[in-house]
Amino acid sequence: MRDALRSEPSPDLMRTLDPHSLNKHVDRLYRAAWALCGSREDAEDLVQETFARVLSRPRVLRGDDELYYLMRVLRNTFLTSLRTASRRPVTAAAIEDVVAADPKPTNRPEQAYEVQEVYATISELPDNFRLALVAVDVLGLSYREAAQALRVREATLTTRLFRARKQVAERLGADVAEIRREDTGPSGVLSSEGTS
Amino acid sequence: MSERPPHTESEIVEFVRSIDERAPQQLHDRIEALVAERAPAVQRRRLTPVRLGFSGAFALAAVVVALVLVLSGGGTGLTLNKTVALTLRHATMAAPAENPHDGTELAADVEGVAFPYWDDRFGWRSTGARIDHLDGHAVQTVFYARGHSQWIGYAIVAGKAPAVSGGVVREREGTPYHFLTEDGASVVTWLRAGHLCVVAGHDVSKAALMALASWDGAGMLNA
Repeated sequence: MRDALRSEPSPDLMRTLDPHSLNKHVDRLYRAAWALCGSREDAEDLVQETFARVLSRPRVLRGDDELYYLMRVLRNTFLTSLRTASRRPVTAAAIEDVVAADPKPTNRPEQAYEVQEVYATISELPDNFRLALVAVDVLGLSYREAAQALRVREATLTTRLFRARKQVAERLGADVAEIRREDTGPSGVLSSEGTS
Repeated sequence: MSERPPHTESEIVEFVRSIDERAPQQLHDRIEALVAERAPAVQRRRLTPVRLGFSGAFALAAVVVALVLVLSGGGTGLTLNKTVALTLRHATMAAPAENPHDGTELAADVEGVAFPYWDDRFGWRSTGARIDHLDGHAVQTVFYARGHSQWIGYAIVAGKAPAVSGGVVREREGTPYHFLTEDGASVVTWLRAGHLCVVAGHDVSKAALMALASWDGAGMLNA
């Protein structure tokens, strides 16, 4: 499913990018952007800005590496947006600024919370960690492609990915533990009081 | 999908990889509109033959591409035969425009190495471009003209640069520039960010070539 649209890039074959071939990558880029931003609305903006950049001029690609190239542009656009946001004055959100929840946020409603929770957790990772995880686990790039897209050595990418996965697991594990404690709280309190 | 929240690291990785959320339809619509709006311009740049000075640009491309091989060392896979074959091709592109985000560059690059925008600073305007392939190396060439008689071809080779040797070497800011003459054209070749660059032109002095080649957009060098 996730790799159905992809093939291993031919490393030496150069070609110009066909703009019409980009439509098939929208869903995957959207998921990557969502995991980077932690918000569906920001993800939409990031994907649109990414495609706008790519389409601003003719592009020369190596092999079939559209996705790798898009990840590189997505990364650059994302980092630029972070820098821009850091220079922008911080303003408090008014109630009218809060976006209402999408009534149909996912194809599988029972997963909506899990997906949002996992992506939000990824988005809280340090930039380098989340980019590594998004490139490999969300976008589906190979380690080599991801390293090239993120302009780091493959060993560095591997280390960052390992740590990113570990941190996500730890953070999600903590949430699960808290939920469990809350669920069993009343009986636990009574039991505790009864034994004292 | 899982019936309980993923707990272990491997379960979480598996879960992340299995997410197949589709982008909202309005995003698909906006991207399709973007493609529809911009693709014709992108493709026009790629396919439209350059009317002005086409033959001059074509001839310079042959010179530039050939010199890349003359200067390349062994083991690169670039051969003279393939170069000759390249010179028989006539795919052309329209001139790239100035990069709207950087007034020192054109909106054309090879793996991030952009072609310079020289019009305002030196009076050399871009007039056309072409892309060739040499044994897996893409070679993009942008042509510049000044007045009606001066032409320059500026080629950037994609991928790892072949070895460069020979010619008269001049160094500026730590970068060696190799000068030579080929078929009456003055040629300079050097490396930019690990990419081989070749600039060749008729009726252009070596000093002018040096100024153009070494210009970094900061206005420090003289034409």
